[in-house]
Amino acid sequence: MADDIGTTSLSERIGQALIGLGLLAVLALVISVATSTPVDRRYPDREPVYFWHMWTGEWKDEVDKIVDAFNKSQETYEVVALSIPAAGGAMSKFLLGVAGGDPPDVMAQWDSVIPNWAEAGLLQPLDGLMSPQKWEELRREMYPAARRIGMYKDRLYGVTIGLNIWACYYRPDHLREAGLDPDAFPQTLEELSEWGRKLNRFDDRGNLIRMGFLPGNWIHMALAAGGRFYDWEKDVLYLNTPDNVRSLRWLYEERARLGFDNVVRFRAGLNEGGYAQAWGFMSGAYSICVDGQWRVEQIRKYRPDLEYRTAPIPPRAEGGRKLASWSNGNFMIIPRGAKNVQGAWEFVKFWSGIDHPERAAEFYTMGGWLPITPAVAEAPFYQKYLRDNPQFRTFLEVLASENVEPTPPVPYQVMLLDSINRADDRTMRGAVTPEEALARLQAEVEQEIARRRELGYAD
Amino acid sequence: MRRHLVGYAFISPWLAGFCIFTAIPFVASIYLSFTRYNIITPPVWVGTANYELLFGGDPLFWESLSVTLKYAMVAVPLGIVAGVSLALLLNLEIGGISVYRTIFYLPAIVPVVATSTIFIWILNPQIGLVNGLLRHIYIPRIPFTDWGGYHLVGPNWLNDPDYALPSLVIMSLWAVGGSMIIYLAGLKDIPTSLFEAAMIDGASTIQRTRHITLPMLTPVIFFNLVMGIIAAFQYFTQAYVIMNGGGGPEDSTYFYALYLFNRAWRYLDMGYASAMAWVLFLIIMAITGLVFRSHRRWVHYGG
Repeated sequence: MADDIGTTSLSERIGQALIGLGLLAVLALVISVATSTPVDRRYPDREPVYFWHMWTGEWKDEVDKIVDAFNKSQETYEVVALSIPAAGGAMSKFLLGVAGGDPPDVMAQWDSVIPNWAEAGLLQPLDGLMSPQKWEELRREMYPAARRIGMYKDRLYGVTIGLNIWACYYRPDHLREAGLDPDAFPQTLEELSEWGRKLNRFDDRGNLIRMGFLPGNWIHMALAAGGRFYDWEKDVLYLNTPDNVRSLRWLYEERARLGFDNVVRFRAGLNEGGYAQAWGFMSGAYSICVDGQWRVEQIRKYRPDLEYRTAPIPPRAEGGRKLASWSNGNFMIIPRGAKNVQGAWEFVKFWSGIDHPERAAEFYTMGGWLPITPAVAEAPFYQKYLRDNPQFRTFLEVLASENVEPTPPVPYQVMLLDSINRADDRTMRGAVTPEEALARLQAEVEQEIARRRELGYAD
Repeated sequence: MRRHLVGYAFISPWLAGFCIFTAIPFVASIYLSFTRYNIITPPVWVGTANYELLFGGDPLFWESLSVTLKYAMVAVPLGIVAGVSLALLLNLEIGGISVYRTIFYLPAIVPVVATSTIFIWILNPQIGLVNGLLRHIYIPRIPFTDWGGYHLVGPNWLNDPDYALPSLVIMSLWAVGGSMIIYLAGLKDIPTSLFEAAMIDGASTIQRTRHITLPMLTPVIFFNLVMGIIAAFQYFTQAYVIMNGGGGPEDSTYFYALYLFNRAWRYLDMGYASAMAWVLFLIIMAITGLVFRSHRRWVHYGG
């Protein structure tokens, strides 16, 4: 027994070894077939440009159309698009790709990652890919939001291909029914809140069945409500300031009036998550609400008969800012270590319309996206879109304003946005007062700054 | 000696995989936990700074740890009670028992992400199955008081900070079939001679369960307890899917592993995340060690 191997004949041992080797070979074959990426190259003789994005479903189809258009527009490059859903770990795959020296050439992102990633040295500055004159020109022409989102420490790291802006959507039918004039939309938040009260509807047990006015999250509303997170001239971050407390308190009181739990329950019942068709505004659950410009396109698709209008979020009478909104959006980044930077840049220019605004205008209208420069908005194709979707104009009007601000561009931006939203969530559930929420927000961020200093980060 | 080499050669694929994908990252993370590291630039040694900061005042560290502890303390014992009870029921010799076994085991093979998505619907406060059923329950008015006289209104489940964590615990019971199968195998392993002897001595069903079945099942319970503790401390996917990557209402479901993931992949703080991973590892080791130390007192091998 002890000498089992020793007693087997040589030929048997060789046989066993061969079987083992054979199985290993099969395994290796299976692994290599399973893991090799069969890329569908339509133009094998061109230079490939590998492009990752996070769109899926019908959005992916639109992206493929733009990629096709690029590939047909020239003969040097072929953009090979790969859709990696955000939930499928797009972020970590990208990071590992860069770390492993095999990143895509270009990626479309929408999370607030530019400061973090630029600071970490993950991203290629894009202004260097243009002539200084061209960069100067673009910088001047870009909408303030595009500039603020794409730039970090005076360099350009992301080119926006679709900005998001928030504004009010309202239903004239509800307004008329409540005796309010749809042509005289409130000019202040106070007035708007009063309209909301007149539009609220409850059942006989006091449960909310229609919400007159649903404000956006604090980050969407803060500027209009008199708050301020960042001084873009002096690069100063503001969190627990009297202005911010006032702006959050306004939202808090608005919610308290309806009952914190009442609103949570009402909104949970609408089950809006993930389904465009389930949006409460379309079903009549809200009379006035604050939401993003993409809803215009969704209404056109799913409720073309719906009578609705849009208006900028009105400012608070005291200290509120006009034409104000938070902004985020889709943007293109080119990672360090990208193998075909020039090809990637050509594609970025093509889609964003930096070179050819008239041509790119069509791409922006595909998903109801807001452009990077006024030149795109003025292009005939975009103008036609605006004629067909007049309610979209409100968003362009807001987009041009200096009061459109993304999340402050601090190197811990992802964490900052998480913390701001956490403060918002706790306050809107009535778990803490605005004062407590902001004190905690300030402490959290200060602690993060101290932590970064302790660990020896540049800032 | 040569024979050993042949042996090693045959397990070398596994050995290589273990070294490359487990042992080396494991050891590397010790080093990384003493550095600041964003995956791209080389790690920079910072001494014990990560650990000091972790214990010195990161409120989210303590909060996420407490969420995880709460979950483990409720979900693990409940899982054992539910698993053993189900196994006892499914051990009965009745017609069609294998069909029942299959039904109860089925949820364990549904992918976690699918289960989580379904539970978002099941626990919807307005249109969900659970609250829909609760609404049918009528509490009659108690005479001469203001009590009763209404239909039950279910809680806000995943949207309520008081109910979000219990919701996840309930969901964990849904997949109890996995451990149930192991208990069932354990039950089948108990020699029938013990029961026969007890029956001759006139022991009742309860006495037989109490003095034979449960003691004989303790090695299996012990195994599931240890596995359950480890899994509970690493709890991630369900919370991530259900709360959309966030911490849930008022961070009531901000689990340790979720915070660790955010630190590593969203805030690009691999050093800090490695330190967190090591703290978690030591906590799991300590608790598992305690369970092991206690095992001589309540785990019976024999029969």
